[in-house]
Amino acid sequence: MDAITFIFNFGIPLAVLMVAYFVGTLLERRHFASIRSREASIRGFPVMTFDRMPEEWQVGRSELFAGSVVVSLDYFKRIIAGIRGIFGGRIKTYEPLLDRARREAMLRLIEQARAAGFDAVINVRLETSRIANANGGEGTAGIEMLAFGTAVKLESRL
Amino acid sequence: MRFEPRAPDAEINVSKTHPLVEASTLLLGLIGLLALVTVLIVFAIEILIRFIPEEKEVKWFSGWTPVERLQSDHPQAEAVADLLARMVAQWPDTEYQFRLEISDDPAPNAMALPGGLIIVTSGLLDQIDTENALAFVLSHELGHFHNRDHIRQLGRFAAIGLFYSAVSASNGNTALGYNVTDLTLRGFSRAQERDADKFGLELVEREYGHIGEALQFFERLSDEREPGIRWDNYLGTHPDPQDRIAELTHLAEQNGWRLSGEVFDWPPTARIE
Amino acid sequence: MDLRTPQSIIISNTETIPGKEIVEFYGVVTGNTVRAKHVGRDIMAGLKNIVGGELAGYTELLADSRQEATDRMVQQALSMGANAVVNVRFATSSITQGASELFAYGTAVRVR
Repeated sequence: MDAITFIFNFGIPLAVLMVAYFVGTLLERRHFASIRSREASIRGFPVMTFDRMPEEWQVGRSELFAGSVVVSLDYFKRIIAGIRGIFGGRIKTYEPLLDRARREAMLRLIEQARAAGFDAVINVRLETSRIANANGGEGTAGIEMLAFGTAVKLESRL
Repeated sequence: MRFEPRAPDAEINVSKTHPLVEASTLLLGLIGLLALVTVLIVFAIEILIRFIPEEKEVKWFSGWTPVERLQSDHPQAEAVADLLARMVAQWPDTEYQFRLEISDDPAPNAMALPGGLIIVTSGLLDQIDTENALAFVLSHELGHFHNRDHIRQLGRFAAIGLFYSAVSASNGNTALGYNVTDLTLRGFSRAQERDADKFGLELVEREYGHIGEALQFFERLSDEREPGIRWDNYLGTHPDPQDRIAELTHLAEQNGWRLSGEVFDWPPTARIE
Repeated sequence: MDLRTPQSIIISNTETIPGKEIVEFYGVVTGNTVRAKHVGRDIMAGLKNIVGGELAGYTELLADSRQEATDRMVQQALSMGANAVVNVRFATSSITQGASELFAYGTAVRVR
């Protein structure tokens, strides 16, 4: 096989793959750092998945909030997932992506509620959905993480 | 019920395996799997070949001619067919009924196709100038039939292609299989070519009593590449000419065959039978 | 199928553990896994699609994933010092062709 064929058949996809991997890892690390610091700053904010509240709480007003984020799968992850589809098992490269997407969605929900002056979020629900590619719907364009819940403003201080 | 802010261990949902480690494990596993499947298919085909006798092959593929521009009125057509018949006579226990076609193509080439079809291009006939050399080219193709090389290639190609398309379809990753199939099954393998050479040389020795000039064609190939003649079709699918000459000369010495003798011209002037 | 939980942590999909009282609550805990099926299961499923019936291979796959997701959620709760997780919910979604994500979430609490 001559050089030109080699470059076009293997070299370019390989280069794209490497860019996807290195840039993707960098962005991921930065995102995780941002998530961790934001989670630390909202530490005192009560969040629960049920709607039964402590008896001391007197609820003034409540409002539904939602935080969502759409992430895309990079090229490198897609290739890995494709090969996994032959052997089966956990796709470990997807886990950081989905984890930070969910944490980001939760953070957005809580940050919104807090910025609007609410004191807690109850009845939180988490949903995931897949956004399909344009042609025929095969293939994934992105994944949306949605976190929604009811934010409550308390009359008395906690 | 009291609210007590506590932080969960957020690293639980993320696996500790480095993505490059996972990637290389998967790639190695994939390569291993493909190698294993290819080997298994080759073995399976070898066994299956025993069940396809020559008459069946002739029956299935009779009338199949995948080459265009056949020249049935080529001036040398009859002479080549006669020569082929003489070479086939040196292989008495064959069940094949051979067909010869001449293809109108300036690029020299010779092919053996399933069912007993031998195709020689007009370009090859133009470049050959001894009958002994042409006899060897034809006998080499007969060698491929003797070894059932096409059925093997067809079987392997079909089986491997089937496996790759099944795997790709199930997980939507079509890029995987196609290129690999291409690379692994191009033409006949070098070993098959060598065996066809050996058989061809035997037939020539039986017909003429010597192997002189039979390899003349290859020496021409390696010496002079005339401009305007496209040898790559032939050279792309057959081994290096120098290697073939060396191997066959060695074979002749081992068997004590004469290296020179009477040589006949091509195209044939009137021969006295 | 019972979701075995380690170290006597209680999980429930009700708001409270029946017969117990929640004394403290800590926050939301989640657990998730992403799993792909393999060719073997695919081929069996393809054949089953002709005759119909349970796709046992896939059932097993998803059940294992659910167990793993639950385990991770419980681990997060344990790391917070909780001894129960209430209001547990599961969600399944397909990520790419052939891979699906399973996650479990609930609130980590301490019960008495």
